[in-house]
Amino acid sequence: MELHIRGVSKTYANGVQALRDVTLTIPAGMYGLLGPNGAGKSTLMRTLATLQEPDTGTIHLGDVDVVAQKDAVRQTLGYLPQEFGVYPKVSAEELLGHFAILEGITARAARRSVVEALLRRVNLWDVRKQKLGGFSGGMRQRFGVAVALLGNPTLMIVDEPTAGLDPAERVRFLNLLSELGESSVVILSTHIVEDVSELCTRMAIIERGEILLEAEPLRAIDGLKGRIWRRVIERSALAGVEREHAVISTKLLAGRTVVHVYGDTLPAAGFEPVEPDLEDVYFSTMAGHHGRRHAQP
Amino acid sequence: MRKLREIFRFELAYQIRRVSTWLYFAVLAIIAYNSIRGNYVSDARNGDFFLNSPFVVAAVTVLCSLLWLLVAAAVAGDAATRDVQTPMHPLTYTTPVSKAEYLGGRFIAAFVVNALILLAVPAGILLALYSPGVEAEILGPFRPAAYLGAYGFIALPNALIATAIQFSLAALNRRGVASYLGSVLLFVSAYIVAGGVAVLVQRELGKLLDPIGVVTVLTELSSVWTPIEKHTRLIRLEGTLLWNRVLWVSIALGMLAFTHRRFRFGHPAASTRWRRGARRRDVHSPALAAKEITRGAPISIPQVPRTFGVATHVRQTLAIAWTSFRMIAKSRGGLVPLAVIAVLAGLYMLGHMEFMSVPLLPRTEYLITFLTAPLTDARSPWIIIPLLTVFYAGELVWREREAGLSEMADAAPVPEWVIFAGKFLGLSLVLAAWLALLTAAGMLAQVRLGYHDFEIALYLKVLGGLQLADYLLFALLALVVHVVVNQKHVGQLVALVAYGFIGFASALGIEHNLLVYTADPGWSYGDMSRFGPSLAPWLWTKLYWTAWALLLAVVGKLLWVRGRERDVGVRIRMARRRFTRPAAGAAAAALALILILGGFIFYNTNVLNEYHSASDTIERRAEYERRYGRYESVPQPWLTGTSLHVEIFPERRAADVRGTYRLVNNSAAAIDSIHLATASAVRTGAVTFDRPASGVLVDDDLGHRIYALEKPLQPGDSLQLDFEVHFEPRGFRNGGADASVVANGTHFTNQEWLPAIGYQPSRALSDAGSRRARGLAPRPAAPSLYDVEARGHRTDAEWTTVDVVVGTDGNQTAVAPGSLRRTWTDGGRRYFHYVTDAPIRNEYALVSASYALHEAQWNGVTIQIFHHPGHAANVERMVRSVRAALSYCTRQFGPYPYRHIRLIERPSGGFGLHADAANITYEEGFSRLNPEDSTRGLDLVFSVVAHEVAHQWWGAQLWGAHVEGALLLSETLAQYTAMQVVKEAYGDEHLGRLLDEMRAAYEVPRTRAGVPLLRATDGFLAYRKGPFALYTVSRYVGEDRVNTALRYLLEKHGPGVRPLATSLDLYQELQAVTPDSLQYLLHDLFEANTFWELETERATAVRTAAGTWQVTLDVRARKVVVDSAGVETAVPMDDWVEVGVFASAEKGGKSGKPLHVQKQRIRSGKQTIMVMVSGMPARAGLDPNHLLVDLKIDDNEKQVKALVVRP
Repeated sequence: MELHIRGVSKTYANGVQALRDVTLTIPAGMYGLLGPNGAGKSTLMRTLATLQEPDTGTIHLGDVDVVAQKDAVRQTLGYLPQEFGVYPKVSAEELLGHFAILEGITARAARRSVVEALLRRVNLWDVRKQKLGGFSGGMRQRFGVAVALLGNPTLMIVDEPTAGLDPAERVRFLNLLSELGESSVVILSTHIVEDVSELCTRMAIIERGEILLEAEPLRAIDGLKGRIWRRVIERSALAGVEREHAVISTKLLAGRTVVHVYGDTLPAAGFEPVEPDLEDVYFSTMAGHHGRRHAQP
Repeated sequence: MRKLREIFRFELAYQIRRVSTWLYFAVLAIIAYNSIRGNYVSDARNGDFFLNSPFVVAAVTVLCSLLWLLVAAAVAGDAATRDVQTPMHPLTYTTPVSKAEYLGGRFIAAFVVNALILLAVPAGILLALYSPGVEAEILGPFRPAAYLGAYGFIALPNALIATAIQFSLAALNRRGVASYLGSVLLFVSAYIVAGGVAVLVQRELGKLLDPIGVVTVLTELSSVWTPIEKHTRLIRLEGTLLWNRVLWVSIALGMLAFTHRRFRFGHPAASTRWRRGARRRDVHSPALAAKEITRGAPISIPQVPRTFGVATHVRQTLAIAWTSFRMIAKSRGGLVPLAVIAVLAGLYMLGHMEFMSVPLLPRTEYLITFLTAPLTDARSPWIIIPLLTVFYAGELVWREREAGLSEMADAAPVPEWVIFAGKFLGLSLVLAAWLALLTAAGMLAQVRLGYHDFEIALYLKVLGGLQLADYLLFALLALVVHVVVNQKHVGQLVALVAYGFIGFASALGIEHNLLVYTADPGWSYGDMSRFGPSLAPWLWTKLYWTAWALLLAVVGKLLWVRGRERDVGVRIRMARRRFTRPAAGAAAAALALILILGGFIFYNTNVLNEYHSASDTIERRAEYERRYGRYESVPQPWLTGTSLHVEIFPERRAADVRGTYRLVNNSAAAIDSIHLATASAVRTGAVTFDRPASGVLVDDDLGHRIYALEKPLQPGDSLQLDFEVHFEPRGFRNGGADASVVANGTHFTNQEWLPAIGYQPSRALSDAGSRRARGLAPRPAAPSLYDVEARGHRTDAEWTTVDVVVGTDGNQTAVAPGSLRRTWTDGGRRYFHYVTDAPIRNEYALVSASYALHEAQWNGVTIQIFHHPGHAANVERMVRSVRAALSYCTRQFGPYPYRHIRLIERPSGGFGLHADAANITYEEGFSRLNPEDSTRGLDLVFSVVAHEVAHQWWGAQLWGAHVEGALLLSETLAQYTAMQVVKEAYGDEHLGRLLDEMRAAYEVPRTRAGVPLLRATDGFLAYRKGPFALYTVSRYVGEDRVNTALRYLLEKHGPGVRPLATSLDLYQELQAVTPDSLQYLLHDLFEANTFWELETERATAVRTAAGTWQVTLDVRARKVVVDSAGVETAVPMDDWVEVGVFASAEKGGKSGKPLHVQKQRIRSGKQTIMVMVSGMPARAGLDPNHLLVDLKIDDNEKQVKALVVRP
């Protein structure tokens, strides 16, 4: 099962162009969609989740036309939105049961067992009788995961899922996703590079509605080998370095500034080569040294 | 202070930029415009008041305030809660702003916005007054004070009060919708509670309780203000209005202070103790999570079957319905308040299951009229249900989105129609639950009243069927409106406007049931004829609207918002994609049904029957007068003999009448043509004469025919006219099916069906405004009493013998005027032959039903009560009354002219009775009276029946000319007679109870302006003031003398005597029996509209040495005459007034033994009266029997204060 996105564009009524001619092929497995805030990730995710209409372009999941055959897509879809609320006066078990019916699990016994398994899975079984209004952000997020997992989706769309999670929960959640990625298409949008590097076999980088790079993370890192240089400088020297070199990222380290510079050769004395990581891929793509923006000046 | 100003400025700017604010303004302006143009223009044309009088401006302001309450609640709710709802409160609540600044700024902004919105009212009024279409004659001078007063004293305080309450509720609950709850509370309090208290408990209290001004302005001023005042008087902040405003503004400020105290800048979830507890438990969970990770043993999720077929969809629909129902049921505006309302309804029924203080049998047929109302009846308290429905629909449509859950729910594999149907079903469950609660309340009330024949099937049919159907259709509309509009507050507004349109469509000239959503011809129910023919037309129109509802549901499905798309273009694109084969099929089926059912209904209302809109009907009446009014004074022969052969077919709801009239030329001239007025309810067939004649004009549309006689009918000669009329309703009309002939309970009158001789002025247009608009000459409701020529007009004063053969179903009894000569059966049908013993007035009814008959005798007169078998409770009582009344009247006024007298029950929910000669029909409702259970012991059945028997003299024998005061000769005399019969049969004390009940009519707010009694044309004067006046005369002059006068009156003006009597003849007879010293009283009572103002300021008593008591009364008296425009003139008074001194009441007794009651001359002004009595006095004062017209009777007497005199 593959997801084919062809030439999808979307412009909002206020003139913001959220997606520009997005074309992607997403195979089974974990797929990371990486981009800064406001890049169009959520628009693309909602469009894949049947909640928005593209202005142009087509999306197919296998043979199914996502835009036209929404009901068919929804039957295989698990969706965890970036932000969501709950009915505060309903218990976790009750609301999950309600969603189970909506997901087509109508037999009572089956529904019970699924609800129990999922609540145990996301570690909410002990608080299943508690009203959702009293849940913390992490608990609520886990509840959302349970809802998304209902019905064993073959297309899983998770939009910025790790944003509100503490480190332990994040690990647990990513484990869960990778398990699912063995059999389904799992699309994970995030602005945290580690999420992608830890999990995804394929990825895309999106900014201002455009896909800048579509690649396998490992191969992309390989492609940068020997092109990323590092130097530790004083903060006051940063402006000068930026003027002279293709700085892709700056970081603070014990009060001093670490700059990463893109270049086919050693840019200057004082720089040292570094082993590139996915973050370097991301930043050099964003800076225009890599990916499609580089190819079409 | 600067912060407050900034918060205010920001909020004001924010709300003023919103489209909805301007929509509210526009809607309010349109309503103001329409209520002037729709409501008041015709009154102004009638000359009741200037169209721009302060009174009209104030009334429209109140009306619009009431609607504004419901429409614009969002303004305050939004200002109070936007931060929590967005949710931006973590940012705003942590700024260094005090509660007072934050709440104050927001509140003041909301108040200012509302005050601005309410400016739409004067704007709409001015537009209505001064744009083309209003003639200058009905406008008075422009007076800014009228608008300033209405806005400043009514609208602005209303805005403050309502905004404060809406704002407080919303802020404290942290939910914007709570402001709607505030609106509903205020609406109920103004419209239902205050109105109810004003009518049932105390008027002034009701005025105080009313936060909006409905009772004060709409009810009170319109009835109390004189015409002059309505023209010119300004609304002032004084009296109760002042106290009302002070009270409510204080309540509003109190609410704000309370809100300020209780409001916390806190996170909503932590706001209740209960939720804080929940959070504490939550603290432990992350630790658990961490432990789980370390263990890291994944739990496998079972693979369970998922299905997506129809069965699943049904299951999903039910699940959504159930959660929707539970959400509404558990909400603050949900089942608990509904249950409270149902309990209140039950209590109300318990308290008010009575008519003129006489208990009513709580029969189910009657209770259902309490418990139901047409959807759009704005006067019914159940208007609250559609309003709540609009509100619930909004909550349901927005539920997921407001909870932030919509994206997850929308991504679930559930078709739109399942979601939509589920929510509709949930809302339906709420409405069904409401009706179930109401049913329970009804039955509990019955149990409490000791009534056990519940007729559950009837409850189910009416509440669970007829009423629920209305509610469901409206609920669907409300849902679809919310879906289509897709903006909650605007959706609320649009749904309310749609509701208003449904309610006021007829005022806009849209009347056909095919054009107004949910409209139907109505239904009726009674024990006798059950639903009669009313159910079928109701059902057809409901089916038709159900088809529309189906179409609406398809629209709802197509436009159901799923995901993020709000753009119209995208929604339409999605709708097109959702227009699948099943949706198309449903839409096509709905359209087909609409066409078929609509066609069928149209065929019934407009093809089988003629359809006339209200304005058509008015136009036709005008046209009738234009064409045939010229024949009004053409001499016509008089009807002297009628013979009829009537065949009634109850099952077929049809009837045929063949008849013959004998007409005599009583005029001095030869008559060459006969004018015949045919009835619109029936088809009148060929008319033939016993001499050569030809039809010159046959206008069956307007109902006028002219036949030319070949040889004129000479004075004194007579001719015979044969006619046929057929009644066979074809289908049904827009107003429903004609219920004249029904399976059980047929009733029709000669005036409704049979041709009448001559032009009929009663069919012409009477309403002054409509006449003026159509260029017809002004015509008073009744010709002047002093218009001598008018007394000679023929009107309906013909006296005819009637000979009727009626055939009906074998199991029914038919009753017609006259003595029953013979009855026989032929071909399974029963026939009755009735012949009158003496000529009767040409006004009679024919009835047929399965009756039980109760018979009795009185001095050779047969008394017959034809009643529905289940309605026998009062039969004996009726007979007793008939006997007593016949006895009194024959002794006092002359012999009874017939050999029988009948009371005949007929289907109808009302309490009315109608007396024709010897036959008195009474509506079914009258049989519900249950004087047996009366605590006050008033036998209303007895007195009402006596009244109708008295009509056998006053009405059946004496018939007044159709001029002002005619009612005095029928209703006033009949009621006066009934009072005397009650006194004779039950004694003075019982009469006192009746008088107390009659006096209640005086307590209804009423202007003092009016015509003298002699020119009475309305019911209050005829049924209340008139009988009291005669009774007063009988107490001053003597009952015998008054009755003598009446006997002379009847002797001089009996049947057939011309010219007909007027109230002046009655007055003359009364003058003849009244001594000179009391002539002034007759004048004051009859010739002038006189009011006495009698007051005892102090009553003291001193015990004398002889052991008697000397009572000293400080009294004050005044007499005023008020003319019909309301001008009051004080007149000097030196009148005989009863002075009464009473002992203290014995235990349980109502009043003490009279120690002294004597008439004494009382003059205008203050004076002191001394009376010596033998016993110890307790109360004393003027006019203790309330014989004189004094609107304030509770100050007539005072407690006597015993003074200790030092020796």
